[in-house]
Amino acid sequence: MRELDPRSKLLMVICISTLAIVYQDPWKLLLLLLCTILMLAWLDSGWLSRMHALAKILPLLALLFLLQCLFTRQGVPLLSIHGINVLTDQGLAMGLGVMLRIIIIIMSAMILLSSSERDFLLALVQWRIPYEIAFMVMVGLHFLPILREEALNVYYAVQMRGTELQKISARLKIKLYTRMLLPIISGAIYRAEQMAIAMDARAFRAYPQRSYMRRLKLKKRDYFLQITMVLLSVILLI
Amino acid sequence: MLLETQDLAYTYPAGKQEILHEINIRFRPGEIAAITGDNGCGKTTLTKLLVGILRPGTGRICLGGNDIAAMSLAEIGRQIAYVFQNPAQQIFCTSVEQEIGYGLKNLGLGRNEIEQRISHYLDYFELSEYRQTFPLSLSQGEKQRLMLAAVLAMHPRYVILDEPTTGLDIYRRKLLGDYLLRIKKDGYGVIFVSHQVKFIKAYADRVIRIEDGRLSDGRGDCG
Ligand SMILES: Nc1ncnc2c1ncn2[C@@H]1O[C@H](COP(=O)(O)OP(=O)(O)OP(=O)(O)O)[C@@H](O)[C@H]1O
Ligand SMILES: [Mg+2]
Repeated sequence: MRELDPRSKLLMVICISTLAIVYQDPWKLLLLLLCTILMLAWLDSGWLSRMHALAKILPLLALLFLLQCLFTRQGVPLLSIHGINVLTDQGLAMGLGVMLRIIIIIMSAMILLSSSERDFLLALVQWRIPYEIAFMVMVGLHFLPILREEALNVYYAVQMRGTELQKISARLKIKLYTRMLLPIISGAIYRAEQMAIAMDARAFRAYPQRSYMRRLKLKKRDYFLQITMVLLSVILLI
Repeated sequence: MLLETQDLAYTYPAGKQEILHEINIRFRPGEIAAITGDNGCGKTTLTKLLVGILRPGTGRICLGGNDIAAMSLAEIGRQIAYVFQNPAQQIFCTSVEQEIGYGLKNLGLGRNEIEQRISHYLDYFELSEYRQTFPLSLSQGEKQRLMLAAVLAMHPRYVILDEPTTGLDIYRRKLLGDYLLRIKKDGYGVIFVSHQVKFIKAYADRVIRIEDGRLSDGRGDCG
C-alpha cells in the first residue's frame, strides 16, 4: 500500500489539515484524529517509531491547552475560585480543540514521510509547479538537519568557553542566542553559494527542456482516493 | 589530573550501529597523544565524548577521578579546550579580539590580564594585524589559528584538537607543533586527531589508532 501516488498523499494532507482548521468541536476533531492515525498507520509501517518526535512537544501542547482554558471567559463556569471563573466549558473545549488540531496537523504531515522526497519533487513538477521552485523547496528541507547540526555546534562552543547557560539571566540568554545566529546564518549563506556554483556547473537551468527519468502515474486507487477525499471534505465542510 | 575513558561505547541516537566499542584510554598531562584512523572510524565522535558534547551510552569518562557526566559543559570547558574539525562553527563574536576575550571574561579575569593574554596569543599565532577584523571573513587557516588562540588563552589542562593541521601551511603547521611541544612542557595534556603521518611522527608521544570503532592495539595505556 505504500506505493500510493505522492500526489494522493499531498491531497490527503491538505484535506485533513483544512478540516482540522475549520472544525471547532473537540469531538469532531477527535474523530478526525482517529482517521488520521488510521491513514498514517496504513501508509507508513514505521509510524510508531516516529511518535517520540510528537512526545517532545507535549509540554508545549500542555501549555497551550492551559492558556486557552484560563483565558476563555465565556461559557458555563466549571470551576471558580473566590467568584472568579477559572475554567468554563467553552474554555475547556477551546483548549482541547487547539491541542487536537496541532496533533492532527503534525500527524498528517507525517504521512508525507512515507514517500521519498524525490517522489514529491516529481509530484510537484507534474502539478505544473516550475522545477526550480519544487527543487528549491526540497533543497530547503534537506538543509534543515544540517542547519540544526551547525546550530548545535555553536551552542556547545559557547558553553565550552565558560558560559553557564543554565545560570545566566533571560536577558543575557537572548543576547547570546542572537549572537549564535551569526555563524549559523553565515554558514547557511556560504553553503547556498557553494550549492549554486555546483548546480551551475552541472547545467542547472542552462537548457529550457529538462528530462525526467520517471513519470508518476496515477493508478485507479489514486483516482478513487482523490475523488473520495475531495468529495468527503466538501460534504463535511458544508 | 588524568583524563581517562572506561569501557566507553557510543551509538548515535539516529544511527543503528554502535560507532565506538569498549574504549579504554588514559591520557596524561605533559603528553601529546595523536588519534588516527580511517575516515568515519569515529575519531570526531571520540573527541566529542571526551569534552562532554556527546554523552556516552555506556562507560564513563573521568577527569581527575571525577565522572564528567556530572559536570556542565562550561565546567568541562575550563579544564579541556576543544577545537572543532570545522572551526567556523565555533566563531560567534564580531571581532577577532572579542573572540579571544569572550572566554577570558567568563573566567572572571581582570582587565589587564585579559588585555595581556589577547595580545600575547594574537602575537603568537600572527593574528595581530587582524585584531579588529570580522572573524568569519578570515581565511580557513586563519580561522583555525584564531580558534586555537581563543581556547588556549583560557589556559585549560587538556587541549583537544580535531584535525588541526588541515588548512594550515607548512610554516603554520610547524608553529602549531612547536606550540604543542611548549605547552606540553608546561604540563598540559594534548590530544589531536590527524591523518598526517609526518606531523604525528614529529610531535606525538603516542599514537592511538582506531579501527572499526576499537583501539587497534587493544589497549590505550601504552607509553
Ligand atoms: N550525528 C550523527 N548521527 C548519526 N551518525 C553519525 C553522526 N555523526 C557521525 N555519524 C557516523 O559516525 C561515524 C563516525 O563519524 P566521525 O565523525 O566520528 O568520523 P571521523 O573518524 O571523525 O571521520 P573523519 O576522518 O572523516 O573526520 C561515521 O560513520 C558517521 O557516518
Ligand atoms: Mg572527524
